[in-house]
Amino acid sequence: MAEIQLVDVSFSYPGAAGATLEQLSLQVADGQAHALLGASGAGKTTLLNLLSGLLSPDQGRILFDGQDVSRLPGRERHVAQVFQFPVLYESMSVRANLQFPLTNARVDVDVARQRIDHVSAELGIESLLERRAGQLGLFEKQLVAVAKALVRPDVALVLLDEPLTAVEPKIKWQLRQVLRKAQADLGVTMIYVTHDQTEALTFADQVSILTAQGILQSGTPQQIYEAPAHEFVGHFVGSPGMNFVPAALFDQPQAERLGFRPEWAALVSPSAAALQGAVSRVRAQGSQGGEHVGLTTIVTQHGEVHVHGPLRFAVGHEVGIQVGRYVLFRAQQQIGTGRWHAE
Amino acid sequence: MLQLHNVSLGGRHRFDHQFADGQIAVVLGSNRSGKTNLCRLIAGLDSAASGQVMLDGKSLDGLSPARRSVAMVYQAFVNYPNLTVAENIASPLVAAGTPKAVRKAQVAELARSLQLEDLLTRLPAELSGGQQQRLAIARALAKQARVILLDEPLVNLDFKLREALEVELRDLLVARQSTVIYTSSDPRDAFTLGDEVLLLEHGDKLQAGPPMQVYGQPRSLAAMHLLSDPGANQFMQGDQNLAVRPEHLHLQPLSTGAHAFTLHITAIETSGDESFVHGDVTAPVQASNWVMRMRGMTDLRTGGLVQIYARDEDLQRFACG
Repeated sequence: MAEIQLVDVSFSYPGAAGATLEQLSLQVADGQAHALLGASGAGKTTLLNLLSGLLSPDQGRILFDGQDVSRLPGRERHVAQVFQFPVLYESMSVRANLQFPLTNARVDVDVARQRIDHVSAELGIESLLERRAGQLGLFEKQLVAVAKALVRPDVALVLLDEPLTAVEPKIKWQLRQVLRKAQADLGVTMIYVTHDQTEALTFADQVSILTAQGILQSGTPQQIYEAPAHEFVGHFVGSPGMNFVPAALFDQPQAERLGFRPEWAALVSPSAAALQGAVSRVRAQGSQGGEHVGLTTIVTQHGEVHVHGPLRFAVGHEVGIQVGRYVLFRAQQQIGTGRWHAE
Repeated sequence: MLQLHNVSLGGRHRFDHQFADGQIAVVLGSNRSGKTNLCRLIAGLDSAASGQVMLDGKSLDGLSPARRSVAMVYQAFVNYPNLTVAENIASPLVAAGTPKAVRKAQVAELARSLQLEDLLTRLPAELSGGQQQRLAIARALAKQARVILLDEPLVNLDFKLREALEVELRDLLVARQSTVIYTSSDPRDAFTLGDEVLLLEHGDKLQAGPPMQVYGQPRSLAAMHLLSDPGANQFMQGDQNLAVRPEHLHLQPLSTGAHAFTLHITAIETSGDESFVHGDVTAPVQASNWVMRMRGMTDLRTGGLVQIYARDEDLQRFACG
């Protein structure tokens, strides 16, 4: 396993008007689970291809454990990749699928058997080893694809490209948990690329937010969620994203805008709050203590605001929005966080 | 009103169902639960499903898809590749012989509501995935069908785009006054979009009703599981099967008479908005693979023991077997 560094990496596709990646720097510690979170068009696939060696940077360096691999072909970098859809030899047994990369890497037969046993135990697929890959369900196939990536003893980096796309929402978390546990137990350096914030934040030790403007923030899931470095991060992470209103409303002269998460605010009577509006939409999501809870959308003078919590006000009601916790921004950059009330 | 009579989706029982006018019904089920077959049956396409489909009291049996007042949007984006965005939206209107002036106005209105107005002269291949799917939806709406079928239309879209489209889509669909059937495997869609939810499992109808009612009074453990993400937490007590939803487990007893459990934490996940605490219950009952769903971040740590509580009202009791 290796520590991965990108130093001022730039890349443009031939004939493209602008650079896809410009002066991008990224650091992933040895044995870290790192998620790259971005929308379509942010350059996620380009970055993956640079790491796997399918593309070479125009400028800058890619370092594995301090060694410059920018010009090395993919196979010499020892990078394994898991794709959106499982890539397996369907007519071969699961064991033969796992043996294949080991045979290619000329791994000793006994070592190979140990490796296969170890990794399949870690992923809970021992009982599938003698079955034909083509007979497996999608979830099991993707587990085998992960095993195939992890089985090589010399693998420096495992890249996961939206690996849960094909898995049903209800069992996504199971695969995520298995992945997470295997990653931690085996000490593998993993880079997980996704547009799905839930996947990124639940999977990773560190998350980087990738946009066409570069990486806007790298941090723990908690830092990304509670203290976004940039307004875009606040908007992009969270469902729905952060609310933004003029900071002047809350007497914060050093800031331009004040951001708050939908669950950091409560609905009160209009006279009791600096921010007011009319309820425009109510969406129940479940119940708490016998009361319906969910999302209330309020149209204020400063745009729509979403508040999560008990649904006590119907559409059309005038309400006040009492903000408990907040993040301050100037020129879209974060300049501080704070709270007014004990939660 | 759209009525299904004596329908079989390959499950154990045939069933009836009525879809009300002007309402959105979310058909919730996992892969191979019969969702797509149901849509195809209503649309008159080849389907493994069988049964009678009645619209406003008249049977649609034997009518070709083109002669049914039904529009369908598929998971994969389907548009006419050699027609522009404007021509794609107009195509059902052309087929229906709508006068040109009316056609133009309707295309403009649909393009505006689906945010395609700046793309009218492009070809589908020049659009992003989200734009292509919005175009497919616009074309389905242009048909002005009595019934609109949407078969997991947003499943291939980016997370943020999906979030925005879900809200817009509800407003657009409600405004049409058509009967809308929207299939999904994500319980959130039932709450975001549905006036009604119809739960399907292995081709059987488990339960139907307003989402919050089905959520509050599931008739079976299977129904409770299907409308829960992650699934419900189960345990046995005497000859009863009990279950509690992940969001109804708390770190404090919220009322007198709350049930206490000791949870051994095996994993913690967070999405920022929410945290999911996974573990096994060691007392007073033995139960494995529980999940507690909490708002925000948590200080709990993997490996620890924690006391958790469920209100008696939040426990669902089902007969065994």
